[in-house]
Amino acid sequence: MGIEVKNLIKSFGKNTVIDDLSFKVNNGEILAIVGFSGSGKSTVLKLISGLIQKDSGEIITTGDIAMVFQYSALIDSLNVYENISFALHERKDLRKKYTESEIKKIVREKLGLVGLTGIELKYPSELSGGMQKRVSFARAIVTEPQIILYDEPTAGLDPMSSTLIEDYIVRLKQETNAASIVVTHQMSTISRTADKVLMLYGGKCVFYGTPDELCRQETPYTKQFVSASLEGPMKMLKG
Amino acid sequence: MDTFTFKGTVTYSVYRQLLKHFVSLVSTIGDTVTYGAEVIKHLLKCSVDRKVLIEQCARFGVSSLPITLSIVGMSTVIVAMQVAGEMVKQGAGNFVGLLVTMLVVREEAIIMSGFAIISMIGSSLASEVATMRVTEQIDAITVLKVNPIEYLFVPRVLSGILMMPLVLIVASLFGIIGGGVAAHLASGLSYKAYFDSVWNGLYMKDMNVALLKAVVFGFTIALVSCTCGYNATGGAKGVGEATTKAVVWSFVAIVIWDLVFSIIFFF
Repeated sequence: MGIEVKNLIKSFGKNTVIDDLSFKVNNGEILAIVGFSGSGKSTVLKLISGLIQKDSGEIITTGDIAMVFQYSALIDSLNVYENISFALHERKDLRKKYTESEIKKIVREKLGLVGLTGIELKYPSELSGGMQKRVSFARAIVTEPQIILYDEPTAGLDPMSSTLIEDYIVRLKQETNAASIVVTHQMSTISRTADKVLMLYGGKCVFYGTPDELCRQETPYTKQFVSASLEGPMKMLKG
Repeated sequence: MDTFTFKGTVTYSVYRQLLKHFVSLVSTIGDTVTYGAEVIKHLLKCSVDRKVLIEQCARFGVSSLPITLSIVGMSTVIVAMQVAGEMVKQGAGNFVGLLVTMLVVREEAIIMSGFAIISMIGSSLASEVATMRVTEQIDAITVLKVNPIEYLFVPRVLSGILMMPLVLIVASLFGIIGGGVAAHLASGLSYKAYFDSVWNGLYMKDMNVALLKAVVFGFTIALVSCTCGYNATGGAKGVGEATTKAVVWSFVAIVIWDLVFSIIFFF
């Protein structure tokens, strides 16, 4: 078992963002959470990772949790090597576990996994958006997590970089057997990476199934989402 | 006839703004005390990242020195120039050094250094931490199971505690020497007469209280600045607001501390 969420509720003031949500993600499985902007997708990740506290419900996780942030969230005062090795140097339970030469080897190995070499001394500002994202992947997997959360991993990237990132998500699943959640609204990311898809609207699950079932557009929700139509049961917030 | 509603009037919006500032003040005080207690806990355990500490000490002490020396030096020169001529005329030239020294050691050097450090270091600490907050870097640190208070606050606050007394000593010396030069140029007072009376104005109690104040001011400036940055919300606007808040509340805090010290030691 990887992640199990039961009857999760989260409100901000009077606005209920997550409303009685339940789902399960097994080890070696990728769940894509989709939905229009403001539907509560990123909130689910923040609740699972412990960045915000739930109002009620249950979140059961097994093992370390890692998260890849939408805008990479690399620490800009640290170089690539220091960013990737950050947890190994700073986390209390890992601080004395590895020698510096072992840490160097781990960093090189993780960078290799995301197809990068020789950039250890570069700072985040010297890297492209795609490279920053890949470095943040390497940072996330440095502690061998059993759960990996991706917050819109392909947002803002060109199609080729998106494909590369999608391949890494699948590769990391195979290498680590981690339970993964990918928050996205890009169809390519859903079809290339996900085993299951959960669609959120108004904090509730309105569809749960495989990417193929999503593409078949058998419900009004899936039809509207896949066709990107403004007509349907899901109303966009007026600006 | 239209019914009068208080809501929507200028008075209503003024009260609303005042209430908002009051709530913000109370919440900043609460957070500062909470984070301060956690920082002290980590300091007592000697749990500090040495590399970050050295970087922060260099920033707090070395980077701030030119502006601190300029402000303390110039304000002392202004005072010395204005009082020296008059005191020499009145036959009290032998007390110029004493007056300048007491002024510098007791109040001027520490307050002016505090203001300089808040403007230069406090604002930069707040904007740095606030940027890390709004760009999710602090969230990333938290998810990696590293305590952000320990990683961000402790080395910055400790550098404030360690460097502020050193900055104060250098600034005080600079101010006293600058005062002597100004007094000599303004009134022809001899350097010997000035520096002889400097010794008469140097009291051990004043120096100890000034160093204690420096430790407390350094702690307060770094803690308030980090707290304001840490609680930033939103984007660029949030960073700007956090920086303003850090500067304002640090100014207020050190003036209150100064008053407390004056009551305790000189009342």
